[in-house]
Amino acid sequence: MKTDQFFHTRRLRKLLIAACCAGAVIAWRLIDIQLVSHQRYAHAAEENRTQIIYHTAPRGRILANNGAVIAGNLPAFSLYYMPAGRPPNKEYTDAFAADISLHLAIPEDEIFRKLNNAFKSGKATLLLSNVSPQKIFAVAELQVYYSGLYILEETKRYYPLGFFASHLVGYMGAMDNKSWLRLGGDADYRLNSKIGKSGIERHYESDLKGLDGGLMLEVDHVGRVKRIIKDNKWRAGSDIYTTLNFDAQKAAQDSIKKSLTGRGAIVALDPKTGAVLAMVSAPDFDPNIFAPYGDEEVLQSKKISIPEYNLAIQGMYPPASPFKIITAIAAAQTGRLDVHEKVNCTGKIILNGREFKCWHRHGEMDFMDGMAHSCDTYFYTLGLKTGASHIEQIERLFRFGRQTGIDLPFEKSGNLYGPAKRARNKTYWFGGDTLNLSIGQGELLVTPVQMAVFAATLANKGKIWRPYYIEQITDADGKNTFEAEPEQIAEAKLNDGVYELIHQSLKGVVDNATGRAAKIKGLDVYGKTGTAQNPHGDDHGWFVAFSAREGQEPDFAIAVLVEHGKGGASAAAPVAREVIKAFYGIK
Amino acid sequence: MIIKLSGQVIKRRRLDYMLLAALVLLIATGFLVVLSAAGGLSFGREIIHKYISAVPLAAGAFIFGWLFNYQIYNEQWKAVYVFILALLGAVLFAGAIVRNTSGWFRLGSFSVQPAEICRIALVLVAAAFLTRNSRNVRDFKTLVLFGMLIAPAFLLIMLQPDFSSLVITAPALLILLYAAGVNLFYFALLGAFALAAGVFPILWTFTALRPEVMEAGGFMYIIGRTAHSWVYALGFCAAVLAAFAIVWQGLKQFRVYLPAVFVFIMASAVISGFWCGFFVNKHLKNYQRKRIEAFLSPETDPKGAGYNVLQARIAMGAGGVTGKGLFSGTQSKLGFVPEKHTDFILAVLGEELGLLGTLCVLALYMVLLWRTAAVAGMAGDRYGGLVCCGVFGIFFTYMTVNFGMLIGFVPVAGVPLPFISYGGSNLVASMWAFGLVESVYSRRLTMV
Repeated sequence: MKTDQFFHTRRLRKLLIAACCAGAVIAWRLIDIQLVSHQRYAHAAEENRTQIIYHTAPRGRILANNGAVIAGNLPAFSLYYMPAGRPPNKEYTDAFAADISLHLAIPEDEIFRKLNNAFKSGKATLLLSNVSPQKIFAVAELQVYYSGLYILEETKRYYPLGFFASHLVGYMGAMDNKSWLRLGGDADYRLNSKIGKSGIERHYESDLKGLDGGLMLEVDHVGRVKRIIKDNKWRAGSDIYTTLNFDAQKAAQDSIKKSLTGRGAIVALDPKTGAVLAMVSAPDFDPNIFAPYGDEEVLQSKKISIPEYNLAIQGMYPPASPFKIITAIAAAQTGRLDVHEKVNCTGKIILNGREFKCWHRHGEMDFMDGMAHSCDTYFYTLGLKTGASHIEQIERLFRFGRQTGIDLPFEKSGNLYGPAKRARNKTYWFGGDTLNLSIGQGELLVTPVQMAVFAATLANKGKIWRPYYIEQITDADGKNTFEAEPEQIAEAKLNDGVYELIHQSLKGVVDNATGRAAKIKGLDVYGKTGTAQNPHGDDHGWFVAFSAREGQEPDFAIAVLVEHGKGGASAAAPVAREVIKAFYGIK
Repeated sequence: MIIKLSGQVIKRRRLDYMLLAALVLLIATGFLVVLSAAGGLSFGREIIHKYISAVPLAAGAFIFGWLFNYQIYNEQWKAVYVFILALLGAVLFAGAIVRNTSGWFRLGSFSVQPAEICRIALVLVAAAFLTRNSRNVRDFKTLVLFGMLIAPAFLLIMLQPDFSSLVITAPALLILLYAAGVNLFYFALLGAFALAAGVFPILWTFTALRPEVMEAGGFMYIIGRTAHSWVYALGFCAAVLAAFAIVWQGLKQFRVYLPAVFVFIMASAVISGFWCGFFVNKHLKNYQRKRIEAFLSPETDPKGAGYNVLQARIAMGAGGVTGKGLFSGTQSKLGFVPEKHTDFILAVLGEELGLLGTLCVLALYMVLLWRTAAVAGMAGDRYGGLVCCGVFGIFFTYMTVNFGMLIGFVPVAGVPLPFISYGGSNLVASMWAFGLVESVYSRRLTMV
């Protein structure tokens, strides 16, 4: 150690090594921050400096088949103020506030206070939201005199037809926790976004939404606006054209409300394609009650008060007499139906010591009479002759107990009933069950849409279509992003002449028996009434029908259910009559 | 300088060009970054004017330090010492009060911070003292005397009060002591004392910040309680004594015999450090407590105490490898980075010049430290070497604390980064310090 007389060389070297270590650690951290985590910090910096004032894109419209707008938009404007530079003097602010308050009819001191805050803080300030187009027009002129006024065009959901197809169309509401989990991953949704809550509004949310626009501002650390980076225009959502027949849907809604209880469901289909022409679930609601959106608690209370349950696809009822058609088909298919054989109806039938009643003492009945008057005794006898297994086979052929596949959530599948089903559930089948089955009572449950599909299948002689309600979806550029293609999901093939026989008998029902209420001049209406026994109250009334212009192929199939309507002939058939008349444009 | 030595003509360089080049590059970088950082400030123009006028002064200070024989400070060390005390005393009485501290002299439109000059001068005095006591530098007495010599200057600085100045000076003097060859046992003592004094307030802040840590019980619970309860505090001291006694006995079993006095002194160092920490904790200012909290967890309150560090780090990270380009940093331009032209200038540098910029500055600092250490090794006398070590210590501490603050290894201490941060007094003092290093270099011992 040569220089040790002056100096501690070894310790000096150690110090230098320590400095190098410190330098290395610092370099490592710098690389970590500036290279490895660059993306994260760059994103944070970008978020820091930008503030976006969003313009919600106009939602796509929902239209009926004649172009009537079921769900549209109303323009709503927001008035922003972007302060720039030094705060102006009081006279300027005073005049400014006075002018705005004059045009918008809001208190001057409120505007004055907001303007003053804007000047003081330098932040982009919302002066007024939800301004009507008339008022904003006047303010637009003020923009010439006062710089910094910004008008943001937004839109508000509006349902011009009110109750029209409310269950199918759905309604809008505020974003909630669950929806945020579902949609929040999409960058275009914000916590204050409005979203579809049910029906088409919810199911086709991504098509209807469009792309939000936004005014991107550069702000400093206390939120003062520095400049406007860019003004992104929104892109409107896609329009959805439904298959709903405006007149039929309107008539269906009005007539079911006028029925005995005003509760029930109607589904009308085009038997040639399966297109939904009308779908009603009563009671219904006016989706406009959510239009102001409001705060969450008010919404909740409103939500409880609205009937969200769509009876047309979710209500399950015994099919009752319309099911006699199945029994008749089963008998005809197995060759056990003799149209001319008569059965004497004494008002009841006794099987194994148990009495099974008919709703009336009909006397001598052949097949046409039995169908026309819906004689239970006749079908008890026919059912016993045919055998429950054959009935169940036909029941399965017409896809009872299975969802129709309509593109709506929460569709119920009903309940299939028959000896095979029983056997699978490892319980027994009794003679009485056969009787119940042949008149459509017992454990059998169907939804109105299933019955409508059934009617449509009878009408087109065997083609089972998947019901659909969206005709096409057209985006903002006018390009069709979706066009409906009717989908036949099964075929109910029967022996020659069976459909014709059924048609003939159903026409007899309407022309001169229980279905008389649905008889319309100039039309061939084929229908079957039904009264579903309900242990919890009054019976439900059914009317299942299809119709055609005289001498033509059937082009309208309908199932009407009036809850607690007491009888199909009295409650449901007149409703169907109104709808059929409206569909064919008969006054 | 040309020396004729036994007929040979040796041309000896009088200036370490590498050191000078590093300085010039650092100042140039710093000037650009300050220009950018000050651009967005309302008083930016004023800052740039002052900066430009400080540069020739700094150059003058460098040339003065270089040409003036450093050995004169050694001879006249008492005068230097009196000069320091007088300057620090004067600023207490005659200084302008800025943000509740009186650390500035106002000269017309300029403000001078004498503490910056005194830091360098204190190194000169300390080096002179250690040179004088080079024979008995390993004695405890020397250490005590050294402490007594430094204490008045420290006291005057604390009266201003300017703790961030001490954050640099105290470690720098420790490095100087280490380099001077102080007995490592005393060093360990001092280290234990300082560690206890520093760690306990941080621990207590931590337990106050996160009560659930204390709730979990065990060691942290006892530590947490010692902050408020005298019984616990005294109990803790007893426990430390007992622990040391046990370790001492345990070492005896392994035939490692330590004098009992050593162990006792070590224990008392820890205990006195603890009490010092206790005192510090009681008198910690609110903003200082906030800084510790922000250091412990900057993300818990991003809009509060942790805001500054977080925003500075975001700025650095957003710069990426090549940066956003000079004058284009949004974080600094829009005011998200606090103190951007002084303490957090690295954030501006990192955002606008990227990783390349920060690594370059780091590399230049490493060059400064390397050259300073090298000059210390080739110094013509012990005093020159010690002065270089003191300068090394100061800039090593500056680098560690300022970079460490940004990367989250050190609490925010309000320390600038010399040559890069804006600060006239700091620039002049720093240039003077490296002038001194050049002075030692030009009068070095040359082995032919």
